[in-house]
Amino acid sequence: MPRIAGIDIPADKPIFISLTYIYGIGRTLSKKILKELNIDENLRAKNLHDDQLSALGAYIEKNYVVEGYLRRQENQNIALLKNIGSYRGLRHKMGLPVRGQRTSTNARTRKGKRRTVAGKKETPKG
Amino acid sequence: MSRSVKKGPCVDEKLMNKVMKQKDSGQKEPIKTWARSCTVVPEFVGHTFLIHNGKIFQKLFVAEDMVGHKLGEFSPTRIFRGHGGIKKKEMKALGR
Repeated sequence: MPRIAGIDIPADKPIFISLTYIYGIGRTLSKKILKELNIDENLRAKNLHDDQLSALGAYIEKNYVVEGYLRRQENQNIALLKNIGSYRGLRHKMGLPVRGQRTSTNARTRKGKRRTVAGKKETPKG
Repeated sequence: MSRSVKKGPCVDEKLMNKVMKQKDSGQKEPIKTWARSCTVVPEFVGHTFLIHNGKIFQKLFVAEDMVGHKLGEFSPTRIFRGHGGIKKKEMKALGR
């Protein structure tokens, strides 16, 4: 299994799919990178030459922020919002949606599993 | 969708004038304002504002990191006092 950009080990899928296993690279970016390096995107990752692999690794490292660095960057951005006391930072702290979505219902991704409140009555409709 | 670059940042003119006046005279008093939609521009850094949140004016000392955000972002309009739920009821029951 080939290694690209540190720890990632994409398998025997087409190379443009394999690349998306790297955090920070989606399909669009993956295809763009392969076009830039003149590598056939439908080649299997195992059929790539070593120099093609190293070229990919070097190119990604040089031009894009991926994996740990990207995660750190994201966390820093959130920490900044929290530090300056902005509304978005507050929402991050409270674990609620940040971009103005409704929270009366839904928003389960941010709020986590439902916690049933005992004795709470159904809100009447209409 | 983000704001057109052509327009530049949305800055309240009156507020800007007040900041500039303070810059000239060197004094730094909190500036009362209702202009929550006004963008924080680099000129604001180091000044103190009193930003209306619909009820009271909340004090804000503008730091460099705040540039680019809106003034309203720093003056929350809602206060979350927590869900009452079981704990409150228990406390009441114990009190009685």
